[in-house]
Amino acid sequence: MLSGFELDLPDTLVGVLDLIADGRGTPAVPLAGGTSLIVDMRARRTMPNAVVWLGKIPELRGIQVTQDHVRLGPCTTVSDILNSDELAGSGVSLVRAAEAFGGQMVRNAATVAGNIACNSPASDLVPPLMALDAEVILESRSGSRTVALDRYFTGYKEDVRRTDELITGISWKRQEESSVDLFHKLARRKGDAITVVGVAVNMAVSDGTCMRARIALGAVAPTVLRAKRAESMLEGETLTPGLIEAAARQATEEASPIDDVRASATYRRHGIQVLTARLLTQAWGRLT
Amino acid sequence: MRELRSIGKSAWRKDGIAKVTGAEQYASDVLLPRMWHARVVHSPYAHARIISIDTTAAEAMGAVCLTYDDVPKVRYNERIVSTPPHLYRDRQVLADKARHVGEAVAAVAAPTERAAELAARAIEIEYEVLETIVDPEAAMRPDAEPIHSSVLLGGTELPIDNNVAVNRTIEVGDIESGFARADHIFEREFHTSRIYHAQMETKSVVCRPEADGGITVWPTTQSIHNVRQLLGEIFSIPLHKVNVKRVAIGGTFGSSIQMNSVIPICTALALKARRPVRLVSTREEDIYDHTRYETRIRLKLGVTDDGKLVAGQMEALADIGAHNIQAFALLSVLAGWWVSLYELPAMRFHGTAVYTNKAPSCAMQGFGNPQATFATETLMDEIAEKLELDAIEFKLENYVGLGGTFWGQGPSVQSIVQSDGVPELLRVGSDKIGWQNRPDPGSQTGRYRRGIGMARGFHTSGAGAPKPGEVIDYSGALVKINEDGTVDVVHAMMDHGGGTLDAIAKIVAEELGVPVNCVGISPADTLTTVYDVVTHATRGVYAGGGAALKAARKAKAILLDYAARVLGIEVDALVIEPDEDLCQGVIHCPSVPERSITVGALAKLCQTNSWGSIAAVESLRQVNAPPAYVSYFIEVSVDTETGHIETRRVVVGADCGTVVNPAMAVGQLEGGLSKGTGYALVEDAQWDPETGQLASRGYWVDAKIPSISESPRLENIETYFADTYEPTGPYGAKGVGEAATNPCAAAYANALHNALGIRFRQLPITPELVLAKLRAQAGETLLGGQTAGPASAGSRGT
Ligand SMILES: Cc1cc2nc3c(=O)[nH]c(=O)nc-3n(C[C@H](O)[C@H](O)[C@H](O)COP(=O)(O)OP(=O)(O)OC[C@H]3O[C@@H](n4cnc5c(N)ncnc54)[C@H](O)[C@@H]3O)c2cc1C
Repeated sequence: MLSGFELDLPDTLVGVLDLIADGRGTPAVPLAGGTSLIVDMRARRTMPNAVVWLGKIPELRGIQVTQDHVRLGPCTTVSDILNSDELAGSGVSLVRAAEAFGGQMVRNAATVAGNIACNSPASDLVPPLMALDAEVILESRSGSRTVALDRYFTGYKEDVRRTDELITGISWKRQEESSVDLFHKLARRKGDAITVVGVAVNMAVSDGTCMRARIALGAVAPTVLRAKRAESMLEGETLTPGLIEAAARQATEEASPIDDVRASATYRRHGIQVLTARLLTQAWGRLT
Repeated sequence: MRELRSIGKSAWRKDGIAKVTGAEQYASDVLLPRMWHARVVHSPYAHARIISIDTTAAEAMGAVCLTYDDVPKVRYNERIVSTPPHLYRDRQVLADKARHVGEAVAAVAAPTERAAELAARAIEIEYEVLETIVDPEAAMRPDAEPIHSSVLLGGTELPIDNNVAVNRTIEVGDIESGFARADHIFEREFHTSRIYHAQMETKSVVCRPEADGGITVWPTTQSIHNVRQLLGEIFSIPLHKVNVKRVAIGGTFGSSIQMNSVIPICTALALKARRPVRLVSTREEDIYDHTRYETRIRLKLGVTDDGKLVAGQMEALADIGAHNIQAFALLSVLAGWWVSLYELPAMRFHGTAVYTNKAPSCAMQGFGNPQATFATETLMDEIAEKLELDAIEFKLENYVGLGGTFWGQGPSVQSIVQSDGVPELLRVGSDKIGWQNRPDPGSQTGRYRRGIGMARGFHTSGAGAPKPGEVIDYSGALVKINEDGTVDVVHAMMDHGGGTLDAIAKIVAEELGVPVNCVGISPADTLTTVYDVVTHATRGVYAGGGAALKAARKAKAILLDYAARVLGIEVDALVIEPDEDLCQGVIHCPSVPERSITVGALAKLCQTNSWGSIAAVESLRQVNAPPAYVSYFIEVSVDTETGHIETRRVVVGADCGTVVNPAMAVGQLEGGLSKGTGYALVEDAQWDPETGQLASRGYWVDAKIPSISESPRLENIETYFADTYEPTGPYGAKGVGEAATNPCAAAYANALHNALGIRFRQLPITPELVLAKLRAQAGETLLGGQTAGPASAGSRGT
């Protein structure tokens, strides 16, 4: 059951930044879709005194696609992603993740910034974003900065964001024609289940050579992470089944899964191997 | 026999509109003037003595607090329908010792739910933590901490040794010489899991103390009368002052087969606060309230070369959790279901029910039957394979059918099978699925492997028998004909959502010859209904409907007597037939067409002439418990890379005698499939051996049940019914509900064997288990099995 807390509903970004800086004496915690924060508050894992809702500021929500960039407002919901035509051409792995995300009600409320900021290794939007080399835009009263998503998480439930900073955007470069981005998730059931293993792959190929390989792994380490050594085995190479197997095996070495109620570490390692090899094979097949 | 008018036709549910519009009233919807709200304080420890409880701070906040000191010192068993020699009583309204995580140790009432929650948090409890016992084998070690030192059996104190709640041995025939006649003996061990009922509504209750010292209660329950009797006993209130009202129940699957523990807590609070109190469980609380019985079963079957079973032995260890709700009955039914599946000239059953520090187990859809059937049907499949017999022929050769003795509910509940659709079920099912074309077990090599499996089973229809058994079983009904020709049926039975009360309305309509739209089901409470034991054991239509039929027959006799008088025609020449246009039954004599009268006109005449009411009340004990047979054919496809199992096609057939309401009966089969799939493949309640906590800690997020995505598409689920007639049932009907789930897990295990050549004897069959077995089959270990790095903090989500 929820304990009491103060709720503010500012209608400007400045209003939010003021409240999360020091607010009315205690700094307020941002509330977006509430699908993570309210659950944590109800379970008493976190008990903020003050909460500030972002939902009154329409500019914070939306998908902008320009010539070279895609930018998501922090309050863009998973359903927005799922229903977006623009993303189908420039970040389809994110749409795949949105499809596999929660149930309809959760998708309607859950936001992309909330998915990042809740700092869960099982956040489904993060592997595809990381594989797309996305950046996170952080703003506070004292200014703004941009952090590569790949550098955003620093440890289990830890990140670079200061409590007075708000995520105000997520952006990445539009993908060239000759690239493919893919995502797949394993879980205990098909819908509305926390990821046991999530893998995103992003690949660009030119003249039969892999020019860019990104492999991001979810739910198999304290944070979502990139399998960078596996990636570097592929870049500049002509992929063969043997090389793909070896890279997938390397990816399992870069992860550090644990046993928990959803699956054993052993199963997770196996899942990384299978999914990584499968997605790399698919990507390579489509580009050659 | 005359043509049936209501029975056999799909009809809208009478409560359908209220349910879809939200107008239906459940216990938590009951809001009364001056009402306060309750919260319960639960033990965070699995096993702990309570040293002290300090309620000062909570009381200072204005709450009414309840501790062990405030509650009647009455030991009770929440399920009172066992006969006294088998009634084990080991709990009180609030515990003096916590025996499982989530056990209620204190409670508060306050003007709002929030105030109650804050007050509950302000209660300070000092515990002395004791050894947690999660494993039933460990519980029986001589040095294990006793969970109960003694309990009451009937009225006498029974010491509990080694945490064994009860043992039961049942023997028929000479087991030694039975196995000596066998050419082959198969012995295997099975493990079934401890899953949560996952009913939609969490257990709730509202209680109002009355000025005359009585109480009125609106509970989540499957039996208003048993709640009434037990509250009367615990609180020493005469029964005529205990009124328990029927409110709709949001599903149950057995979870409210007993008087839920929140009911006496709320009652005690209401009596202390002297005002109405409402208590609604959260989901996390509810998950710690009840579970299905977890079993370890060692099954041994002896068979001759030509495929005849000659002897069987079952040893069962049941983990009952912290309280004994119906452990004795569970052991009886484990034996009963097992020996009623196949003829065993010689059999021996030995069962042990053990206390552990986990949420108490109670009946759940099938009560021991899914467990016994999983073991038996998996082993039967294996025997058929080893002896190179067709599994269907082998089963038909050995099953208990027409003329056989059925004693599903235990040795004291025996009756002779009088209707049997098994051959039809198996023949039709095997044609539909393509049984003859299924692959050879283990013959496939690709990534995806397909398999077809089959299992059969049944459930009882009620617990009736020629002589009194270990469980009470009878129902009662009042049928009265109103002055406009409509009918009220006053029946204490609960409808769990399966349409039981709709079926009862149909039976009454059919008997009285009125349109089913003219039959209403009255609101019910314990002051105005006669006793009905409980909606369980798939007895609703067969036993509850049987009682309604008996009362309707009597009311009809009164009606026809008056009609004979009015029409001047002999009683025996009269018939009543529904006229849908008039929305009336019409009483007439086919050979004298000019003389007829509607039921409404006649009833009105009875009133204006002051002849009296046309009504009858009857009580019925069924003296049989006919098996409702079900067969499952399941086709799966296994992704051997991930271990994921896809259910491709399901063919499920039922022999429920006359099908009273086809659409609802199909719904029962589809629901049984969904619950069975959860049991077989998905639901996995792990308990932490150190803390006695659920690994999910009670949150849905990690207590998954199948969603619609796990179900095959509707066009790939085929249901059908055997054409049978049960001579002892109302209009030939038996039950269906629980039968619909019982064989499901075994059908999956057999389908997986067909696909992979691997036997699964443990539930649930998770992707991880599939993969581990595949690797073992190939002589490999899983990648990372040898190289698993140091575990780091990691993937715990949310
Ligand atoms: C039933 C259910 C199913 C779920 N299924 C999935 C799933 O399949 N996959 C998955 O990845 N997750 C799932 N989740 C988790 C959750 O829905 C997601 O993590 C979601 O994206 C959180 O977004 P939100 O908008 O609801 O965040 P909130 O709950 O509002 O906030 C989460 C955290 O982010 C912070 N925050 C929010 N916005 C900002 C911002 N702009 N700047 C800085 N900090 C911010 C909040 O302070 C809080 O700490 C599920 C949750 C539930 C309840």
